[in-house]
Amino acid sequence: MHEYSITKSIVELCHQEARKHKIGQVKLIRIRLGRFTGFSPAAINFYFDYLKRGTRCENARIEFFEIPIRIKCPACNFTGEIVEPVFICPECGKPDIEIISGREFYVESIEGE
Amino acid sequence: MKINVLKPVLVSNQERAKENRKFFDRYNSLVLNIIGAPGSGKTSVIENIVKKLKSSYRILVIEGDIKGSLDSEKLMKTGIDTIQINTITECHLDAFMISQALPKINKPYDLIMVENVGNLVCPAEFDIGEDFKVAILSTPEGDDKPVKYPLLFHRARVVIINKTDLLPYVDFKIKNARKNILAKNPRTMIFEVSARNGKGFDKLINFLKKELAKKK
Ligand SMILES: Nc1nc2c(ncn2[C@@H]2O[C@H](COP(=O)(O)OP(=O)(O)OP(=O)(O)O)[C@@H](O)[C@H]2O)c(=O)[nH]1
Ligand SMILES: [Mg+2]
Ligand SMILES: [Zn+2]
Repeated sequence: MHEYSITKSIVELCHQEARKHKIGQVKLIRIRLGRFTGFSPAAINFYFDYLKRGTRCENARIEFFEIPIRIKCPACNFTGEIVEPVFICPECGKPDIEIISGREFYVESIEGE
Repeated sequence: MKINVLKPVLVSNQERAKENRKFFDRYNSLVLNIIGAPGSGKTSVIENIVKKLKSSYRILVIEGDIKGSLDSEKLMKTGIDTIQINTITECHLDAFMISQALPKINKPYDLIMVENVGNLVCPAEFDIGEDFKVAILSTPEGDDKPVKYPLLFHRARVVIINKTDLLPYVDFKIKNARKNILAKNPRTMIFEVSARNGKGFDKLINFLKKELAKKK
């Protein structure tokens, strides 16, 4: 699955950041993941256990923080969270809504010494 | 010690996609990223488009497959140029794989169609430098696919409903499909075709001609 290459990017990114900030061993990687993305934390963890070997992330674990899908309706100014990605305004029924959050996928922080 | 990183994971793919875009812009090529389930008819739809457009436009097809080159061999028979990319372990094409194929492009093309790996999940995430994504949904798959794969149907600008010749035999209601697609993206252009008997392609071809004209 595509989490393989993605996990590789995560390991490389965190390894580089650790080196830059002189962290020998990363203990914790915090990742923010929007709910409207196609990535599975379980699959990332699966590849992570294998890909982290021999890097500064060898002893790290990943903590995922999900970001809900939030939308804004330009017609009625409704702003709020939706559970299902159906892009119709729950207030006024208009279909042209903007996604404010839920597509994020980034490394928030690393911890270690 | 805690370090705030705040860096997106997909940034490198996004950057590479932009580079690919620049390459395609040199000849003002219209680039379509064609995504659909295995067997939905991606190759068959491409063949139909090629037949109708090849006399007036220079066309290239890039074939992404996990293994083998059956689809590109099939398309070569139509007389157009093809490039095969084998993804081996990956279930999608990403901007890097496309960029590695770019040196093989040594002629200007008006239309470049990229057949992505048969999959509805992963290809939706990875931009490759295309003008837009085209999702193919075939009638035997059911009209609820957009509900199950929201990201693809949100990001695709065009959805092609294929295998309409099978409508009498399958549990697929065009009306439901349209409703489900538009719930994911109200601006989606929807075309109904049969790659088997050629029905419905005229509208799609007209649309593509307009998009090709915009590029010139
Ligand atoms: N009845 C019918 N069959 C179709 C139609 N379009 C494609 N097929 C058949 O569906 C099968 C798969 O078509 P392909 O075009 O190879 O599908 P694909 O999406 O490229 O498949 P992969 O590349 O293997 O993922 C073939 O047997 C086609 O002949 C259609 O409109 N109607
Ligand atoms: Mg094919
Ligand atoms: Zn509204």
